[in-house]
Amino acid sequence: MSENIRIVENATCTFCGCVCDDMILHVDMDEKRITKAKNACVLGRAWFAEHTIEENAPAAMIDGKKTSVAEAIEAAAQTLVKAKFPIVYGLSDTTCEAQRQAVAITDYIKGTIDTTTSVCHGPSGLAFQGIGESTSTLGEVKNRADLVIYWGGNPAESHPRHFGRYAVTPKGMFTPGGKKDRTVVLVDVRKTKSSPVADILIRPKPGKDFEVLWALRALVKGKRLSSAIEQQTGVPLTVLQDLSDRMKRCRFGVLFFGMGLTMTRGRHFNSGALLALATDLNEFTHFVAKPVRGHGNVTGADNVVSWQTGYPFGVNFSRSYPRFNPGEFTTVDTLANGHADAAMIIASDPASNFPKKAIEHLKNIPIVVLDTKCTETSKDAHVAFRTSTYGINTAGTVYRMDDVPITLRPAFESPFPDDETILIGIKKRVRELMFERHAQDASDATQVAARA
Amino acid sequence: MALELKLHTEPEVPLEADCICPDKLQSLKTSAIENLTVLHGNRQVPLKAFFECRGEFDGEIMIEGDLVNVKHIASAMSYGKITISGNVGTHTGAAMRGGEIVIEGNATDWLGAEMLGGRIIVKGNAGHMVGSGYRGSTIGMQGGEIIVHGHVKNETGHVIRRGLIVVGGNTGDFTGVNMCAGTIIVLGEMGLRPGAGMKRGTIICQTKTALLPTFTRSCDYQPIFLRHYFKYLKSMGLAISDSFMRGPFERWCGDSVELNRGEILLYAGKLQ
Repeated sequence: MSENIRIVENATCTFCGCVCDDMILHVDMDEKRITKAKNACVLGRAWFAEHTIEENAPAAMIDGKKTSVAEAIEAAAQTLVKAKFPIVYGLSDTTCEAQRQAVAITDYIKGTIDTTTSVCHGPSGLAFQGIGESTSTLGEVKNRADLVIYWGGNPAESHPRHFGRYAVTPKGMFTPGGKKDRTVVLVDVRKTKSSPVADILIRPKPGKDFEVLWALRALVKGKRLSSAIEQQTGVPLTVLQDLSDRMKRCRFGVLFFGMGLTMTRGRHFNSGALLALATDLNEFTHFVAKPVRGHGNVTGADNVVSWQTGYPFGVNFSRSYPRFNPGEFTTVDTLANGHADAAMIIASDPASNFPKKAIEHLKNIPIVVLDTKCTETSKDAHVAFRTSTYGINTAGTVYRMDDVPITLRPAFESPFPDDETILIGIKKRVRELMFERHAQDASDATQVAARA
Repeated sequence: MALELKLHTEPEVPLEADCICPDKLQSLKTSAIENLTVLHGNRQVPLKAFFECRGEFDGEIMIEGDLVNVKHIASAMSYGKITISGNVGTHTGAAMRGGEIVIEGNATDWLGAEMLGGRIIVKGNAGHMVGSGYRGSTIGMQGGEIIVHGHVKNETGHVIRRGLIVVGGNTGDFTGVNMCAGTIIVLGEMGLRPGAGMKRGTIICQTKTALLPTFTRSCDYQPIFLRHYFKYLKSMGLAISDSFMRGPFERWCGDSVELNRGEILLYAGKLQ
């Protein structure tokens, strides 16, 4: 280790949706790597340690061959402009500034933009539209919540600091005793590393979350239920009644829900049932519901795409105005149905985790990839850019899972350009090419009219 | 003489052909019809780039070919008849107000979404969201009939407010979810959670199904009005047994987390 150490205080970890902004980073400026990340959880430490600079990696490649960034930008723009049904996907691991440019490119090329939300909390997005969201910041939860319910998630492993920093143990203004002033309920189909934190552990049968939530809604509304509910859901009526009473009695309750709810049978109806329960409870007390988001800036992607198009994900511009239709314009569907004929993937690796049918189609179309590392998707890319890592090398804005924007403090510089710079270059060239095409179309139309 | 459209080139990417609708072809000659604009991905192209047009439009359109990649056919149609001899793509008959669509093959998702009137007959299967509302909408189908001889997938009749949906086969999950009113008849089996969040309306099913805990059994009875429905459906070519026509039916009321004025009628007799 060299002696040229820089200390970055209040840096932000962008690994998960918690976006903890109290990191103290020790940076070896000669070796260009982070040697210590104080306050980081196990996931955060790995995130900071793994993101080093691969000096020999090319900044841009076309068909696997090293090229200049300018040539790669030209090739990327040509690919996107030629396509009849181009898709832009990813965006949850980059800054809001880059996301904004991606939306603008999609608008110019009349394409379809989608974020990783569609494969994680997309169903919750539909439920927000259908039911509405009773919401709060994590700061309010920390200061006020005396009943915390986790449903369908395992934060001890997926968001290790969620308990300690926001919801379970921190001492708040109205919860000075920390954990002692709170009741923690965990609803999950199996015991996990989060289970020991819970005062009450409820284990419904797999795939029966909707029925349990529906039964709770009925109990909260004072309806009678048959004791046969235990046979149906695996949860005794007395347990449900007790939980319902606790929820009505608490001063400030919060329901955190994870992908155990959104990615099981029933999907958006499961999230919708939970949001409806929170709405029902507001007749008795203050209750909020928040999804526990995964990627560092997936919430930012939802926000940026929403304020630019009016919809959070799965937005199509082929008619020159935004249209939203999950199931039709979401990336898994456009790929699995064989609709997309070009793709730009930003900070995501669909070739590693999409359904087989979607991956097969993805491998058959030209792809433009922007990523900090070599991935399964970038290996098959027509154009691949190596970019700098947001939060470590790049400044910008990200949104925490409770929609609070947080500014990034980069630790050290990267030789690679950031996503925003590349996307601005592509946008500029795409705009020129589209103007040329429109001029050509207008000229052709004039000639046809003259002949007629 | 009916206007005949034959798909001669398979679209590589989705083709949005909402111009294939009697309201938009009214008083147009065939030469004008074949120059109507369709959207091939993000490019505007004339209809003739994909369809061969023959005959004159007199209120009836006959379409040949596998239209699985052709969307929005007969959107907002208000009169006339369209016969499709193959499969058809998404949003067929969406927001339709009148007239009739007959699909000889299968239909995909959002068939008759938010329709207001008219009739759609599908001889094969249909996809998700038949007669439903679009995402974020609280009102789905508001009138008319959708008759599917085969199976359908999830969320059939989501937020339906009026109208009739008949499924000759099975339905997926959440049949009639959040329905405000209207009637859904299922001659096969229903998937999970039928009628979840229903306010009013009737779901009738030929087979017993597990219902949500928020539904309560009120009685067994033999409703006369159902016989009229079944007689009509028999005349439409659906196989309905006499014993099913007679009943009896278990009547379940729900959904109690909402108004509790919806009913699910499950056939309680033995089919002969």
